[in-house]
Amino acid sequence: MWSQGGVTDEDRLSRAQARTVIGRVFKMAAPFRKTMYVAFACVCATTLCALAGPLLVRRGIDLGIRGNDPASLNVSVGVYLLVALIAYVFGRAQFLYLNRTGESFLRVLRLAVFRQMQRQSMAFYDRNKAGVLVARMTADIESMAELVQWGLLQFLAAGMLIVFALVLLATLSWQLTIVALLVMPILIAASVKFQRDSNKAYLTVRDRVGANLSALQEGITTVRVIQAYAQEEETIRKFTKSNRELFKSHEHSVRVSTWYFALIEFGGVFASALIIGIGGWLVHRGDVTLGTVVAFTLLLSSLFDPVQQLSQLYNTVQSAGAALNKLFQILDAKPEVDEHPGAVALPLSGELVVNGIDFTYSGAENRALQSVSISVGVGEKLALVGPTGAGKSTLAKLMARLYDPQVGSVSYGGIDLKMATMSSLRERIVVVPQEGFLFNGTIRDNLRIARSTANDEEIDAAIAAIGATEHFATLPDGLDTEVRERGSRLSAGERQLVALARAALVDPAVLVLDEATSNLDPGTEAEVEHALERLMAGRTVIVVAHRLSTVQRADHIAVIADAQVAEYGTHAELIAKGGRYSALAAAWQKSQVSR
Amino acid sequence: MTSIESDTEVAARLEFEETQRSEGWRLLRAALRLQRRNLLLGALVGILWASFKVAVPQMTKYAINDGIEKNGPLLRWALIIGGLGVLTGVLSGMRRYIAFRESRWAETLFRERLFSHVLNLHVGYHDKAQTGQLMSRASSDLMQIQGFIVMIPITLSNVIQIFAVTAILFLTDPILAIVALIPLPFVNLSARRFSHRIHPASIAVQAEQAQLANVVEESISGVRVVKGFGAEQVQFEKLEKEADDILRESMKAARIRSSFMPAIDVLPALGLVAVLGVGGHRVLNGDLTIGDLVAFNVYLTLLIWPLRNIGMIVALGQRAAAALVRINEVMSTESEITDPAQPKTLPLQTTEPVGAVKFDKVLFGYNPEFPVLRNFSMEIRGGESIAIVGATGSGKSTVTRLLLRFYDTQSGHVFLDGIDVRKLKLSDLRKHIGVVFEDTVLFNDSVRNNIAFAKPDAGVEEIERAAKLSGAHDFVLQLPNGYETVIGERGFSLSGGQRQRIAIARAIVANPRVLVLDDATSAVDPSKEGEIRDAMKTVMSGRTTIVIAHRPGTIALADRVILLDEGKVAAIGTHDELVGSNARYREVLASMSTPEEEKVN
Ligand SMILES: Nc1ncnc2c1ncn2[C@@H]1O[C@H](COP(=O)(O)OP(=O)(O)OP(=O)(O)O)[C@@H](O)[C@H]1O
Ligand SMILES: Nc1ncnc2c1ncn2[C@@H]1O[C@H](COP(=O)(O)OP(=O)(O)OP(=O)(O)O)[C@@H](O)[C@H]1O
Ligand SMILES: [Mg+2]
Ligand SMILES: [Mg+2]
Repeated sequence: MWSQGGVTDEDRLSRAQARTVIGRVFKMAAPFRKTMYVAFACVCATTLCALAGPLLVRRGIDLGIRGNDPASLNVSVGVYLLVALIAYVFGRAQFLYLNRTGESFLRVLRLAVFRQMQRQSMAFYDRNKAGVLVARMTADIESMAELVQWGLLQFLAAGMLIVFALVLLATLSWQLTIVALLVMPILIAASVKFQRDSNKAYLTVRDRVGANLSALQEGITTVRVIQAYAQEEETIRKFTKSNRELFKSHEHSVRVSTWYFALIEFGGVFASALIIGIGGWLVHRGDVTLGTVVAFTLLLSSLFDPVQQLSQLYNTVQSAGAALNKLFQILDAKPEVDEHPGAVALPLSGELVVNGIDFTYSGAENRALQSVSISVGVGEKLALVGPTGAGKSTLAKLMARLYDPQVGSVSYGGIDLKMATMSSLRERIVVVPQEGFLFNGTIRDNLRIARSTANDEEIDAAIAAIGATEHFATLPDGLDTEVRERGSRLSAGERQLVALARAALVDPAVLVLDEATSNLDPGTEAEVEHALERLMAGRTVIVVAHRLSTVQRADHIAVIADAQVAEYGTHAELIAKGGRYSALAAAWQKSQVSR
Repeated sequence: MTSIESDTEVAARLEFEETQRSEGWRLLRAALRLQRRNLLLGALVGILWASFKVAVPQMTKYAINDGIEKNGPLLRWALIIGGLGVLTGVLSGMRRYIAFRESRWAETLFRERLFSHVLNLHVGYHDKAQTGQLMSRASSDLMQIQGFIVMIPITLSNVIQIFAVTAILFLTDPILAIVALIPLPFVNLSARRFSHRIHPASIAVQAEQAQLANVVEESISGVRVVKGFGAEQVQFEKLEKEADDILRESMKAARIRSSFMPAIDVLPALGLVAVLGVGGHRVLNGDLTIGDLVAFNVYLTLLIWPLRNIGMIVALGQRAAAALVRINEVMSTESEITDPAQPKTLPLQTTEPVGAVKFDKVLFGYNPEFPVLRNFSMEIRGGESIAIVGATGSGKSTVTRLLLRFYDTQSGHVFLDGIDVRKLKLSDLRKHIGVVFEDTVLFNDSVRNNIAFAKPDAGVEEIERAAKLSGAHDFVLQLPNGYETVIGERGFSLSGGQRQRIAIARAIVANPRVLVLDDATSAVDPSKEGEIRDAMKTVMSGRTTIVIAHRPGTIALADRVILLDEGKVAAIGTHDELVGSNARYREVLASMSTPEEEKVN
């Protein structure tokens, strides 16, 4: 009993698309093509065995019982027994081979899609919502697992069974085959209608299940806010509404299937009534034998069952096709920021030069950066300041080549970042992003994101380097504290400390800190900064900050405003200049002073 | 297992598991009692269906013996069989409908009860519970139960069918019956063992899939960190491991399937072979008619499904029982924070300002052995504004959580307007406290509904006024659909500062006696913060306000400042007083530590 697939009209593949999808599947499955052929041969063999049974019953009745020939009866029985054994052996083999093919294929698909996702640049993640990408890697691929475990086998077997059964019936008695075929069109028409209705019903169910699960998840993850505002009743009322809608759609989908299954049940009995009535008449006329009539009643189900199965599987296969199509689209998406052929490693140290860059986010109307040029020497500390949305974070991201500029270039030690190997780039230049994301696991695990091979001493050293040893030592489990989902076990500032300590672990030549200390109390922040200064002595640091104390310690300050570098110089120079920076500094100082 | 249990421990554990199970079943029985009528109807329909279904081969037999062999009234037999077809068809449709409808209804009600229970559980429970776990209680565990309920009417008709068919077989020819039936119990047995063994295997596959989903989810949500540190390969290796695990577990499941499914398919064929062999000879000897032989064959096929199903339902029942135990575990967890038996009411607003807050010698730790607050006392007059300052992790947010009664203190008391928060109805207490949390949580809903969260019937003016005060109005108007724009995880993404401003508006609409701003402007840039600060003065006037902040400008909004250090109030006073007198205060704010700032002062 698997969940049935469903496919929306827009996702339904055209014939040409279907052909390419199938072609690519075969190409990806090339490494296990041999297993695939073996599996297919096993399916053929078991199907033939399934059909041989009724045939042998017929032979036994006609030749053995009615022909009064015990020896012939015994032969039929013996062969039947043998066929049953063969069916068993091939039955086992078909499961193993088919599953091995299918699961290995899914594994290859998972790895390929994930690797491709990881290669994609930030722009790709801007365009695609996280939820959708996660669904591609999970629900879409898992929906195919069902197909792999059961569906494909049944699909093949059902198709083959129909063909073989028809051929067999026709050789037994063309008259009775015509009778059986009289019922078929009704069955097929009903199946097609059912398939259509149930697809529609299923899509509604799927949507509502999705909505219901989101409501459930939202309720659980936001429970603190709900309780804080005493909105439990209201939230439950809304959930109940979505839940009842889900029930209604379930009910509708059962109703859709009810008449169909009733009809199928009736059709089966009705067809045997027809075979008995007409067959009996033919026996009286001497056109067919009684054994044939009996074999027909037994074989009828071999004809009807697969039609039913095919109609149910049709949706599953179609939705798998649609899912594959989307996955292939991801595989085909070329990363905008990628390693060039012939890329070279960046030198161990050098000057970071931003040279006349223009940058626009894809889909955005305005430039986020416009003819920006700036250079940061070895061991220099540059601060970026400016109002919200001016482009500070954007510049920081371009300096680490998370995006490529449309015009101009960013280079390190004289080498354009576009011509650098990705691995050397990520080693030299490290960004601590504005939102320090914590993964489920211990604090140590979270540091190891920066360097997976780091041992415990190195992690302790990194924590010490940002001056937070004492702080984490007060936690009951120290650095082995499980931070829970998104780090909810820690206080807001503690989360930022963890994110910062990651930078201390990698020891880069250039460190870009994008408001990495906004949740810290100024005291801790100052400590962290002093510690980092020691750590980064002789290295290049670029900070985006909102606090004067941080900014004025920098060697140079760049004021970013309206996508451009509005001012550049040392703290003293800019104050003396009396421009934007001195205004900003005055505002800061005003906020430092109590009323 | 390394630990060795003593006999008494084993006995105690078994007894505990037994009570758990019986409690789980009690939960289900109580739920089904409500649907008694329809379930009985379903059972009745199932019984009728089974009887007609069993009659079909009987009629086939007569048709062959009487109609075909003896040249009798063939048409009549054919018509009777056709008529039975109509009956079985209609009844099977009804049975299916009733079974599915009732099981879905039970599932629906269960889910609602579960959801409302979980939503009312204390925060301490949610700290430890994993979202994924709770989700699977309300989805896959309930699915197990639904799958079990749906089988109830079918099982009943299956049992009837098995009894009827066996009886008929024995009446027709006892010897042949015995021969034919020998392989069939094995079908049942295999089906049962199969369900039994495949279940843990598929659970294992699901668990591996969930782990893979976790890696994917974190790699994508945390992509900035992954890219910032070039950790792509690290994540890829994690994923590869999970993909390998899935493959391994799936193949284990496939192996189990391969060793049972073909056997379950082939065993009935052995019955058919036996009937043909033994029965054929009995016909030859004249002990049996051909019609009987054919009917025998058909009856045997009629037994296959019911036997398989019954084998499966045994396993399904066990699975449902396990699911019920897990659900019962949640349902029987009592909230540790509940309304008092005789709640007091808060004094009404009179000429005296309301919203007085008092902490009296509070001792509290998330883990009782590691107190966060020790002997923490503070008193805030109604209408007064106060700032709490302290180092990272000193317990500022914890104070907020205690005021909301998310947790109860280990000792000491928290009062709102002179009444112990434990003596108040929770909704009463919380309605009068509006908190802007440090992690901004927004709902997947329109901006309007997010702001009106605490007061769903708030009017347009009220909402816009709140948005203007929090500095959100201007940017909201620039959003694609203004106040109707859907925001949140699956909606339009706002910047950190924008999100915080929506959350502030939400607290303003709630119109609480006590407003708490927990680092609520950390992502707002200084110039904008100044604007918000001015607007906040309007909101704060005459209202008790607790501000947790790091920036002196924001701290200066408050009448008094409390320095929280080592779990206690280390100092109280105005900002200027504390700067002047308290070294620790200066340290925490890093205030006056740089010559430039000193100059300004
Ligand atoms: N991923 C994105 N896609 C499209 N536009 C973006 C994206 N990220 C930022 N922007 C836009 O680019 C501009 C510059 O944004 P950026 O994040 O660089 O600002 P910022 O100076 O860092 O501001 P803040 O101080 O608030 O962090 C803004 O108008 C912003 O809305
Ligand atoms: N849910 C929790 N379970 C266990 N410990 C917690 C939990 N929340 C916070 N803590 C711990 O309690 C201490 C106080 O945390 P709290 O969040 O109150 O700090 P804070 O003063 O608000 O700090 P910040 O300025 O960083 O937000 C911290 O050491 C933190 O690790
Ligand atoms: Mg930014
Ligand atoms: Mg806090």
